[in-house]
Amino acid sequence: MDLSNAPPTSKPQGVESEELVYAAAVLILSEDLYPRKLEIIREYIQNGSDALDEFMSIADYIEDRSEPLIKISIQGRSLLIYDNGIGMGEEEIAKLKRIAYSEKKVGEEAGYKGIGRLAGIAVADKLKVSSTSYGDPRLYYFEFRAKDMREDISEKKKVGFQEPASKVINRHTEMGWTDIDPEAHYTLVELRDIRQSYDELLDPAQLKDYIGDIGPVDFAPEPEFSHGTLISQELAQNVPDYSPKNMYLSGPGFERQRIYKPYNDGMCVAKPYFIDIPNPQNPSELLAFCWYAAKGKQMLNKVRPVGRIFSVDGGPKDKHRLAGLAYKLFGFTIGDRTLPQRTLWTTTVQRAQWFTGEIHIIDKSITPTTDRSNFVENESRVRFYEAAPAISRKLNKLAQQISDDRKTHDDAEKIGKKFDSYKERLLTGRIETGELKTIREDINESLEILRRRSTKCKDGDIARYQKEISDLGRSVQEELKNPKLLKAAGSVADVADELKMPSKARKVFQIIMDTLAAHYKEDKEEYYRVVAKIYSALRKRY
Amino acid sequence: MKLPRLQTAFETNPNKDFIRSKYDKPWIEHWHHERGMLLKYLGLPAREMLDILEWQHFLGRFTTIEREENEQHLMFLKANVKDVEHRLYSLYGEFDKILLAGRDRYGNTPEWPYDLVNLDYFGGFIYPGLARPKALKKLIQNQGTYESSFLLIVTQHLRDGDSIGEKREFLEDLRRMLKNGIYDNALHPGIDEIIDWYLGANIPDAARQGLYLNCFLRDCGEAEQFDVKCRPAIVYSGTGRSWMIHFTTEFRFKPGIGHRASSVQSLVELINLGLREVGNGKFVEGRFVQPQL
Repeated sequence: MDLSNAPPTSKPQGVESEELVYAAAVLILSEDLYPRKLEIIREYIQNGSDALDEFMSIADYIEDRSEPLIKISIQGRSLLIYDNGIGMGEEEIAKLKRIAYSEKKVGEEAGYKGIGRLAGIAVADKLKVSSTSYGDPRLYYFEFRAKDMREDISEKKKVGFQEPASKVINRHTEMGWTDIDPEAHYTLVELRDIRQSYDELLDPAQLKDYIGDIGPVDFAPEPEFSHGTLISQELAQNVPDYSPKNMYLSGPGFERQRIYKPYNDGMCVAKPYFIDIPNPQNPSELLAFCWYAAKGKQMLNKVRPVGRIFSVDGGPKDKHRLAGLAYKLFGFTIGDRTLPQRTLWTTTVQRAQWFTGEIHIIDKSITPTTDRSNFVENESRVRFYEAAPAISRKLNKLAQQISDDRKTHDDAEKIGKKFDSYKERLLTGRIETGELKTIREDINESLEILRRRSTKCKDGDIARYQKEISDLGRSVQEELKNPKLLKAAGSVADVADELKMPSKARKVFQIIMDTLAAHYKEDKEEYYRVVAKIYSALRKRY
Repeated sequence: MKLPRLQTAFETNPNKDFIRSKYDKPWIEHWHHERGMLLKYLGLPAREMLDILEWQHFLGRFTTIEREENEQHLMFLKANVKDVEHRLYSLYGEFDKILLAGRDRYGNTPEWPYDLVNLDYFGGFIYPGLARPKALKKLIQNQGTYESSFLLIVTQHLRDGDSIGEKREFLEDLRRMLKNGIYDNALHPGIDEIIDWYLGANIPDAARQGLYLNCFLRDCGEAEQFDVKCRPAIVYSGTGRSWMIHFTTEFRFKPGIGHRASSVQSLVELINLGLREVGNGKFVEGRFVQPQL
């Protein structure tokens, strides 16, 4: 139809009352949005978090000193999410029926699309909401009978009858009020009769892990996680909206616990570091702020980056769940830990997994997609993705350094043990004259390895340690230089002397030992084991 | 848009408040000290959970039973607001059915045993099918299985003429029992007098119900090896002009006896407990005085 010559009008003529959305759309919108059903709880936490932020902006004014919190609990087949935030008034409760309606502002609050409020109908037979706002003497109640609606739609479809969405929603929702203390302010959401196939929503352990990973919660305090305070302080200073929420979880057989980010000292997290991502057009403005830490290991009495994939306790599926960085927006995780890897790393992608951490988006014109799996494609995202590879460049470079430092440490440690053993054998006269050549060669090779490592090592402690080991090696080497003196001092044994071998036999014996040394060049330990057996057998026999 | 006002299923009143905070609370505190631990509660507290909140310092975890979905939702809300949701374990369904079937509508089971059971029933005690007495018996049996002493508080509606036949039968049984060599009839000429008094048409049902339920609890308890100590039943005017009757009974398990227990409180002492009355939020003089044995 050519509309180019149609008269300008704001409404198409004659179609004002035509219903454009049908009931099944509500089910499609809710059910298909959340392939992983645990994500549904994020929607309610997000609403709770926004409500807390809003209330905190007036809490001082009304001198309310209550602890702002979100509590999640499980009762029967109900999942309950409670917050003591700003609460909802009559108008807002009435608007809960509206699909994709939101008065939240983009860039100011975590949720803004108006879909998540009804997310629960995808998993529960009923959604119940009770809420009151400060100053309102009424507690409002809202109920959405999702199962009834599903059955209703399905029955009508069987006979080819499709009803408009509004009519069906109105039939299966109910609202009311009762009196309440006007100073009360809170919201309780109950996802009632959660269907059997979504039992993960009733599993406190899974909820705790999930919320800790994706929610706007703080780090566990010391002594549980000793780096938490530092990271929190840095985030609070650099991320303007950083406001972790106090969240608690309780359920059957699960004592109430405060939920924290999933880090603890048992994971051996190395010292965290931070990266600013400034706006290339205006360097004084930050687009994002990142904290990261590598997997650590106890080296020289300190946890140092180890240069391996960040792993935690757990089975093969869970072991690497914290490997990689996570994007955070308003404290909520966007996408999974592969998203920064996919968007910021172009080479040595696996190095991204050596680290754990978060990239907090400060530029709020970067918005998440509805399913929170990525960011909406817009100019801000483009600008961010242009600036943020600074993170991958820095971490890749750091990964190389970690690798070099760790190898220096590991080699120095291994070689140090060897030098100690030579030293100890020298002191107890357990080095055979026939081994001297091989040992001297071995020490030379080891010193060369340490020298090569030292040129790449940047960790002062490890460099000093490497030097100590090298010095030890050189001192042993020095002592081994004069076999006659060693023999006189009783520092070496000589089986040829003990057996009174004639000169020809001595030469033959030395050829055999040299041949063995050449044969076991790559496996010195085996060499020493074999020759020890030979010396022992000779001494026993003769 | 004008939203409708929600119906309120429960309201307290000064008499109920008095019994909860001035009469039951000291018993519960005493029981808490005697048991030397926080008490595990089972009850029907309704959405306001006034009893739990009043006694919460003596309670550990509490199991509630609620049969109305919206009431249960509002109970969850109250528990969160009062910051006790982590101690709450709420079963959904009729108390009698849950006790008899052992599980609620979701298949969840009570966390036996309990130290304090508070049954503030809606309605009377004896219904067709006797589900309520059966459930109460089952409760006592379960506690006996765990050899666990407990304090039982029962509140119910009083309806004159309610199951009068059942109570008449009980009183005649009681007459026979009292006369049957347990006590010397010659020494207690008042047995007929007192039973006839309870059977009298002008006597309010409260008197019969007080004696009936206390005897019922004693009988069930002793059968499960409990030493049962009843306290006087209390009548009071509840919400909406309904008359309520309230019982507080201690069940102390007697281990190692292997047969029916015999309570320290004698049957005569129990009969003589009589009935107390609360009005205007305090104890008042009763409108009738039953004869004593």
